[in-house]
Amino acid sequence: MAYEWDFGVVLAQWPLFLKGLGGTLLIAAISIGLGVILGAIIATGRMSRLAWLRIPAGIYVDFYRNTPGIVHFFWFYYALPIVADIRMGPLEAAVLALTTQSASFYCEVFRGAILSLPKGQWEGGAAIGMTRFQTLRRVILPQAALRMVGPFIERTFELIKTTSLASTLAYGELLYSATQISAQTYRPMEVYTVVALIYFCLLFTFSLLARRVERRLTHV
Amino acid sequence: MNYQWDFGIIWSSMPVFGRGIVVTIELTLICLVLGLILGMLLSLAQMSRVRALQVAGRSFVEFFRNIPALIQLIWFFYAFPILIGAQLSPFTAAVLGITLNTGAYCAEIYRSGIQSIARGQWEGARAIGMSDKAIFRRIILPQVFDRMLPAFTNRAVEVAKITSLASVLSVHDLMYQGRLLSATYYRPLEILTAVGILYLCIIYPLSFASMMAERHLARKR
Repeated sequence: MAYEWDFGVVLAQWPLFLKGLGGTLLIAAISIGLGVILGAIIATGRMSRLAWLRIPAGIYVDFYRNTPGIVHFFWFYYALPIVADIRMGPLEAAVLALTTQSASFYCEVFRGAILSLPKGQWEGGAAIGMTRFQTLRRVILPQAALRMVGPFIERTFELIKTTSLASTLAYGELLYSATQISAQTYRPMEVYTVVALIYFCLLFTFSLLARRVERRLTHV
Repeated sequence: MNYQWDFGIIWSSMPVFGRGIVVTIELTLICLVLGLILGMLLSLAQMSRVRALQVAGRSFVEFFRNIPALIQLIWFFYAFPILIGAQLSPFTAAVLGITLNTGAYCAEIYRSGIQSIARGQWEGARAIGMSDKAIFRRIILPQVFDRMLPAFTNRAVEVAKITSLASVLSVHDLMYQGRLLSATYYRPLEILTAVGILYLCIIYPLSFASMMAERHLARKR
């Protein structure tokens, strides 16, 4: 192969890569925050004794678990503005898609951890006269929280990877920056290799840190 | 709100959706089967006694799990051809990217399944004079198959979802047809909603199988 590698041209575009990285981290951070809140609300709905809360929450989770992420991105960007009669920028659409999708996964993280505790814990709380809410707050959640750490980290890891789909809406994250640089420099080979390596470093560091946090938290 | 819904467009687009669905299912099946085979080889490499194979298997898995699938697809379509000096069709690039990604995840499933079998079983079988190969085939594999089934059906769900990314390389799958139709008729609301529901119909049975497999396993224990 007589291909002449030239990473110099590509690396000279580092400000654009940096901007993309910023965009990626921004939507990831917003979506994690909002996703956790929405996920907690949906988990409460799914475990409620009221069928009219439980059933819609179940359908919501099933829907998001069984449809590809890219469909949500496109739906929020192109279809929602028609129903809701609002203007939608790529950032808003990407955050909405990521948030609603991760909420369904976070919901299962919370629910799974709470359901994994033996029933006796609830009964014990009730026996000493605690209400359901008190038992949840004082007995169940402190124990369940530790069991949530691992799955929570795993879902967050997936969420960060999913942010790359925002590039299909022309939102300025890493992959979108890469396509721009590739168009300018005519060096797709180097550009996409560099962007893959940036993602690798980002996610690998994240998983190393996360593993350390997990060990700290779960081995007290 | 006085938006005029037009669901007729969905019915008249069904043949186009149908072609997309066929491609989506093809892609899912091909990548899943190849990924299962690749995953097996990768997990054997990781558990081998040869250090070089261990490292190679491990790095492959870490590499493909720590990079978003979309980047892998784009890399195989735009970058890889330059490296090998031959153009790949979008479909081939998608199969390559998704298969390698799936292989990496499957390797982890095999590995954790096989490692979940107590060491004593290997030792016991060795004590009665079985070779490693025979132990693996007759004692270990039959037990892990059950344990791995829910994880594999879950992977199938993920693979079906990942195939939608191939639309970015303009593979004519369901997502691609949806994007094309919604741009052509200017009816994104109806068409993209229909695409979502069609995906649900394809993927839900896989999820259901996964749930059943989990239940079957729970009962057995």
